[in-house]
Amino acid sequence: MIKLENMNNKFIWVIAILAIIGTVFVLMKLASITPKSDNNTNNSKIAPAILDSDNVKGNKNAKITIIEYSDFQCPACNAYFPILKQINDEFSKDILFVYRHFPLKQIHKNAESAARASEAAKEQGKFWEMHDMIFVNQSVWAEDKNAKDIFIKYAKNLELDANKFKADIDSQKIKDKVNSDYQGGFQASVNSTPSFFLNGNKIQNPRSVEEFRNIINQELEKVTIQ
Amino acid sequence: MKIPKWLYIIFLIVSFIGFLDATYITAKHYFGSPITCSILGGCEQVTTSIYSAVFNIPVALIGAVYYLILFTLTVLYLDIKNEHVFYTASKITVLGFMASLWFVYLQFFILNAFCLYCLVSAATSTILFALGITTLNLKYRQNH
Repeated sequence: MIKLENMNNKFIWVIAILAIIGTVFVLMKLASITPKSDNNTNNSKIAPAILDSDNVKGNKNAKITIIEYSDFQCPACNAYFPILKQINDEFSKDILFVYRHFPLKQIHKNAESAARASEAAKEQGKFWEMHDMIFVNQSVWAEDKNAKDIFIKYAKNLELDANKFKADIDSQKIKDKVNSDYQGGFQASVNSTPSFFLNGNKIQNPRSVEEFRNIINQELEKVTIQ
Repeated sequence: MKIPKWLYIIFLIVSFIGFLDATYITAKHYFGSPITCSILGGCEQVTTSIYSAVFNIPVALIGAVYYLILFTLTVLYLDIKNEHVFYTASKITVLGFMASLWFVYLQFFILNAFCLYCLVSAATSTILFALGITTLNLKYRQNH
């Protein structure tokens, strides 16, 4: 048996350095592999058409639509919140942005009620204001047992009629709206949030504002040529 | 003082495992797919990317460097057999242990999202800390 103490000193270093270099190389390869199933199914994913009941922002006559399937309790969606804000400001004339609910109830217990709170605010014309407030304060309500009370407080802050808001948040109409968003996403093979659709087709999530900008600019070029 | 063989061998192996783990998270940060939450996978990717950088440097990269330093010091100890090298490594483990406590706290109480690889790193840094303390304790007892 080789004893570590008797090993040639240079030999120890050679093994150590080779082990380090070898594993770094392998791990970098492993990390850059994107799951195949994701790429294959991307092409066939088409989002349901835009409805009057959708929550939209930007130019209604724009040639480009971006649909986001999102979950208010999802940290990744929250991470995209500032990115989307910037994109929507920059391209307010060029795109129509649609927010659709895809609450991952299995892992996020307050996602559904947050979605309903935003829809209840919409009944009083303040969907986007509530949307922003819910995302900004995600860490406050995410694990709270009485998240609904927190949303009612937000409604008051936004000067909404609190009684109407309370009634709306539990109304069948709003439950149906959230559910129909979810079902639409489900049919378009959404299985994670956020998921984005550019002119109806699912795209790989852009990783930054720059990537988003490039994708939109490319699509704008395509549309103007046609 | 002679440091028990089992101690530095485990130290060597665990610091290497920690290095592998942290390198993998770092590579994911730079080359992996974009972040999402999914029904099956939870929000693991979130913790491995966006929340995990200090001044634009991913903490996983700092972790990888940390484990690499410990690993290199142990190899150096094997080479020159100077106990003080290993004592230095033992003292450094306090930093990793403290950092791990902070990250576990973040995952449980702030992010509410967990990352398997981050928990593995917490385990390796805790083991290294235990080994480091054991070493320093042996040294202390020998001197008194």
